[in-house]
Amino acid sequence: MSPVSIATEQAVLAPERPLKRVGLLQRVVDHRADYLYVLPALIVMLIVIAYPIYYTIELSLFKTPPNLQMKDKIFVGLDNYVAILTSESFHDVTINTLIWTVFSTGFAFLLGLGAALALHREFAGRGMLRALLLIPYVVSAVAASYVWKWLYHSDFGVIGALSVQFGFTDKPINFLDNLHTALPSLIVVNVWREFSFAMIMLMAGLQTVPEQLLRAAQVDGANAWQRFWHVTFPHLKGVSMVTLLLLMVANFNSFIIPWVMTGGGPAGASDIWITQIYQLAFGRQRWGLASAYAVILFIVLMTLGYFYVKALTRGDEARA
Amino acid sequence: MTDTFADAGRSHPKTPVDWWRWGGRVFLLLLLIFTVLPMAWMVLTSIKSQFAAMQYPPQWWPAEPTLENYYKLLDPTNSVGQEFLRYFWNSLYVSIATTILGVVIAVPAAYAFSRFRFPGRAFLFFSVLVRNMFPAVVFLMPLFLMMRWLGLVGSHGSLILTYLTFGLPLSIWLLKGFYDNIPIQLEQAARIDGATRFQAFCMIVLPLSTPGIIATSIFSFIGAWNEYVYAVTFLNNKDMLTLPVGIQRYFTEFATDWPGLMAATFLMSVPVVVLFLVLQKYFVRALTEGAVKH
Repeated sequence: MSPVSIATEQAVLAPERPLKRVGLLQRVVDHRADYLYVLPALIVMLIVIAYPIYYTIELSLFKTPPNLQMKDKIFVGLDNYVAILTSESFHDVTINTLIWTVFSTGFAFLLGLGAALALHREFAGRGMLRALLLIPYVVSAVAASYVWKWLYHSDFGVIGALSVQFGFTDKPINFLDNLHTALPSLIVVNVWREFSFAMIMLMAGLQTVPEQLLRAAQVDGANAWQRFWHVTFPHLKGVSMVTLLLLMVANFNSFIIPWVMTGGGPAGASDIWITQIYQLAFGRQRWGLASAYAVILFIVLMTLGYFYVKALTRGDEARA
Repeated sequence: MTDTFADAGRSHPKTPVDWWRWGGRVFLLLLLIFTVLPMAWMVLTSIKSQFAAMQYPPQWWPAEPTLENYYKLLDPTNSVGQEFLRYFWNSLYVSIATTILGVVIAVPAAYAFSRFRFPGRAFLFFSVLVRNMFPAVVFLMPLFLMMRWLGLVGSHGSLILTYLTFGLPLSIWLLKGFYDNIPIQLEQAARIDGATRFQAFCMIVLPLSTPGIIATSIFSFIGAWNEYVYAVTFLNNKDMLTLPVGIQRYFTEFATDWPGLMAATFLMSVPVVVLFLVLQKYFVRALTEGAVKH
């Protein structure tokens, strides 16, 4: 939107706005009608989002009774945080969380980038191909988890059978019950589900690459790789940033695949922060501890969120 | 990327083999196999008898394909079908209610964020964005207590309310993108013709944003249809379960009936896949809205 249209917009939509700078209160009063539009959303967000965040932070400072009668909770300060950060499992679970997040994000992004580049030019069946590739992203993670659980099945799984067929192994591998293969197997499922999200984002990004620049580079004798690296890629930086951050956040938060497929097992080999928090809260009724864990996750996510908003609102100031 | 220059390439007398293009094709083929094989195996398993499915080495192609698993699930006269259809209905009800409620609340809010410059706008919109960062699991405990206090634990109301935690911010964010793209001049013209601000919104902007509302609704519906965490925590009565939780029950009860489970998974995926295929254009637009500035 051009600056000119903004000026007229304000003149028309808020004609009562006085010309000289006025105090905040005065501006709030001037815009009182605006708030009516956001009021319902605001109320809902306060109840189902702001209050829960506040309450989670509060609970993290208390020892909660196992019967969840919160009036009996006891203030313990930062003990819950100390307990988590010094617990034996925290180190392993954090490593798992990082492996899960980094590898899922990285592979999903690379596959998505490859697919976006390969699908960029028109060819027969391109639309259908794109739709097919997107289906795993649309179906529920629960459905995906069951299907892959069946594919990985220790006795009758098709992946084990195929690997014997092709001579990779002598007998089917028990993917999900093995300390070394459980987490990588889950990452494969996650990448299967997510890569097409990266693909769609990057395909949209590719459309913003000016054709003339590519032609100019071609005329100047740049080869395909040089054109990608020096022309296409710089134009994809913004959208890549947003895509990577969204994938990272989604992966930090993904609960269904590990929970449904392995429940964090075997022996914690695929346990990540989220499954730990759920287990603490609804398996062992330790809500104070679980809340403290959740706050730690909050802090990490807020850091990512800061960069996400920064990446998203780049250029928005110019518009707003 | 090379391919954009097909014409330029052709003007040379000797065009070398385009390795990039061939590499891209092979890559796409492999990716397609990776994507489709699990889905294909799900369908192939669902048309096998249980005996045929539990064999090693597997029957690659069903020797005696049967739709029996589907008949069983869709037949309201037996207990399995009765349960499945009930879960299906529950899912449909919760998803539609969440979508309508979320969109109705989100439309005016998104419009205000797009058009008005009231104090606190930036902060409020920032809070909307930030919500997308938080996982459902960390909202579970306070919301569980709240639902217990309201006496809603175990009801569909608890799901419809809690689904707003992800549905509402997402809807506001998507709709704002659509409103940003509607030219302001149309409303200005209406204002000059004597319409109030609210009339201009209802008569000009709302009809124009129908595609945006459709896109947002699909997103919201799919999100609610696939939701698992709240449903598995809040629902305790087996008659109230939604599909993602319901088929889990089915799985643990008949621990070995993989063909039945695959058929149930297939049926559960049908509505979202159909919605997605029919309204793909909107879906893709909604997904990339905001991240890419044209």
